Amino acid sequence: MKRLSLLLLCCLIITAGVAQEKKRKKPASPAYKEKKAKEDAKFLNKQWWLGLKAGPNWSKVGVEKSYSVIAPTNYEFDHIAKQYKNYDLVGSQATLEVTFYFKGFSFSFQPTYQHSRFLYTNSYEWTSDIETTNHVELDFEQEQKVDHAIIPLIVKYDIMGNKIRPYVQIGVYSAMLINASKSVSVKGIDNAAGGVNEFTEETINLGAKDLFAKNHWGLMGGVGLNYNLGNNVRLNFDVLYRHGMSNIVSTKNRYDSDRLSGVGDVMDDLTLDNLNISIGCLFPLRFLSSGFKTLDLK
Amino acid sequence: MNKRILILITLLGGFMFSCTEESNPAFDTNNFTSIFDNSKFDASYFPIDIRQTPDGGYLVLGGRKLTNSNFTGIYLLKADKFGKFVTEIEVEESSVNPIAKFAAYQDKYYFFCMDAVTQEAQLVDVDADLSAVNITPVEGGLTYPAASSFEGDEFVLLSYNNGSKESVISLVSVSGALQISKGYSIGTGEDIEEPIINHFIRTGRQYPFEVGRVAGSSLYYFNGFYNYTFSLVFTNITSDDPIGVVQGQQDDGGFSAVTSLGGSKFATSRFNFGDNYLLPNKDLSTSGNTSSTDLGGYSLPEMVENAEVKILRASIDNKNVLIYGTDTKTKQIGLLFYDEAAGTFISSRYLGFSNPFEIASLTQTADGGLAVCGTTYLAGRFPRICIFKLSKDKLAENVN
Repeated sequence: MKRLSLLLLCCLIITAGVAQEKKRKKPASPAYKEKKAKEDAKFLNKQWWLGLKAGPNWSKVGVEKSYSVIAPTNYEFDHIAKQYKNYDLVGSQATLEVTFYFKGFSFSFQPTYQHSRFLYTNSYEWTSDIETTNHVELDFEQEQKVDHAIIPLIVKYDIMGNKIRPYVQIGVYSAMLINASKSVSVKGIDNAAGGVNEFTEETINLGAKDLFAKNHWGLMGGVGLNYNLGNNVRLNFDVLYRHGMSNIVSTKNRYDSDRLSGVGDVMDDLTLDNLNISIGCLFPLRFLSSGFKTLDLK
Repeated sequence: MNKRILILITLLGGFMFSCTEESNPAFDTNNFTSIFDNSKFDASYFPIDIRQTPDGGYLVLGGRKLTNSNFTGIYLLKADKFGKFVTEIEVEESSVNPIAKFAAYQDKYYFFCMDAVTQEAQLVDVDADLSAVNITPVEGGLTYPAASSFEGDEFVLLSYNNGSKESVISLVSVSGALQISKGYSIGTGEDIEEPIINHFIRTGRQYPFEVGRVAGSSLYYFNGFYNYTFSLVFTNITSDDPIGVVQGQQDDGGFSAVTSLGGSKFATSRFNFGDNYLLPNKDLSTSGNTSSTDLGGYSLPEMVENAEVKILRASIDNKNVLIYGTDTKTKQIGLLFYDEAAGTFISSRYLGFSNPFEIASLTQTADGGLAVCGTTYLAGRFPRICIFKLSKDKLAENVN
């Protein structure tokens, strides 16, 4: 898939380059130039763009409702509550962009494959009132990897410029679950064994697709920059923040994994936010002539 | 054109919002796993029986380790319908050794225990909120209560008389009054008594004592020691000799669980020198002397030696099934589903992973689901009470 995308990108760049190699026409009369400029301006009010972009993302989760397998009887739940580590792990995404530009505004459809990762930790402790050296501590670290197909609708507004065109964007998206997995690693300290016994248990890795919601939706906003290379190609730098509005966890299957319940783990109701940074290329789809020549404002 | 775009956007928007995952309290009560943890290193809790309360919550009768006694302390726990901890009671150490079953009658919950000094039976009642514990001495000086059941409006109690060395079966009213009682000799000699005492002080094997009434009959049974063997004994509680005995192999063989299905039909399991056999629908002779070793049964090597077995008659998806709960060698709780009428195997389900899990009790819940209560060992060593709640839908998957 990655190779195919790369090949497609190369072909588009070469095609655009070849179009630029067409020989220049001889100078035209001022009247013709004026007429041509009007036509060009009218033409430039509309454009379709096609492109690819990819980059890293960082995730943050919001806890809507907390769940726990372990029910404390003589201590506060806060002692074992999950601690989420936001923007800690790097995920990735790849986007195909189809944008319709009209008088400064762009309506963009950007189907995205997004791989998100997030982490939480919690710990348990047992101490003895009788023998103070009797003490056991377990530290759990749970990593989630979730793949979504994201179908967004975005409106962009080009703030200014020609060669460098910054823009702002807002939109809404729907995400469909593709795959998910979890890993649970456990480290512990046992002081009851006659000394300090630090141990690490074997990591539990398992598919967790059933534990996540099949769909969720959210809002998105961001900024970006297009840089016109002058040969019908735009380089794109895009920063996008996706804000999840609905639960990403399956409420029905929450306790379905005995492997996780057995070690005291169960997913909370969560929303998922992502900070995406992408770079890519955009190519125009409307051309003035059969030589794939399009316009850029001077 | 604009109309089409509007329709498309509306449809897309509808799709986005309609497919989202909403929190649903029903899901949270249908399925859950709860492990009730105490942070004390030396604390040790194990469940004995579980009952669902009218508010959808759960009452767990359990035992706890006592530092100053060889006997087991009484522990009661209340969880809400989501499996969350509500309250607990550690009953004073003057009353010890709680036993199954935890019986519901009117608006109270009853169980037997014994006086720590005299070893005489006591009847305990609590309400659904665990707001008070009332302990009433049982009349008649019955000692070492071993098992009980609730039949009609009275208790059937199996106890052990270490003076006369008899297994004693009695009928006791909810006020603790002794209605009728009969003792049957376990045999003579100290050797035969030793495993019984070790059972009560939990230094030896825990025997599957049971007692009850044959469904639709005036005949009673107990699963306990009689005439040097661990036997299933049928009696009318008046005759000096049992009406029928299904003998085991001293204390190496016998029944590990018994549930009367009516008449001579029983759902049972048996152990024999460590092996386990399940007999989901078996005709047992309720008169005369027979031997459990002749009964055959489904042998399940996945079960631990002399496994604890609990049998529940349940109605799932309009089918009458028997659910056998047991301990497996993989340290999980195994649930085996059998057709009640035919005695044929339907399916299985296993609960627990990583930490060891052991069965204590099963109960069908008001929503048609199943609550499984057991012991797990947090960090592989701290015995704690756990509840698995399985939904009606999940159980239906097991029987269809």
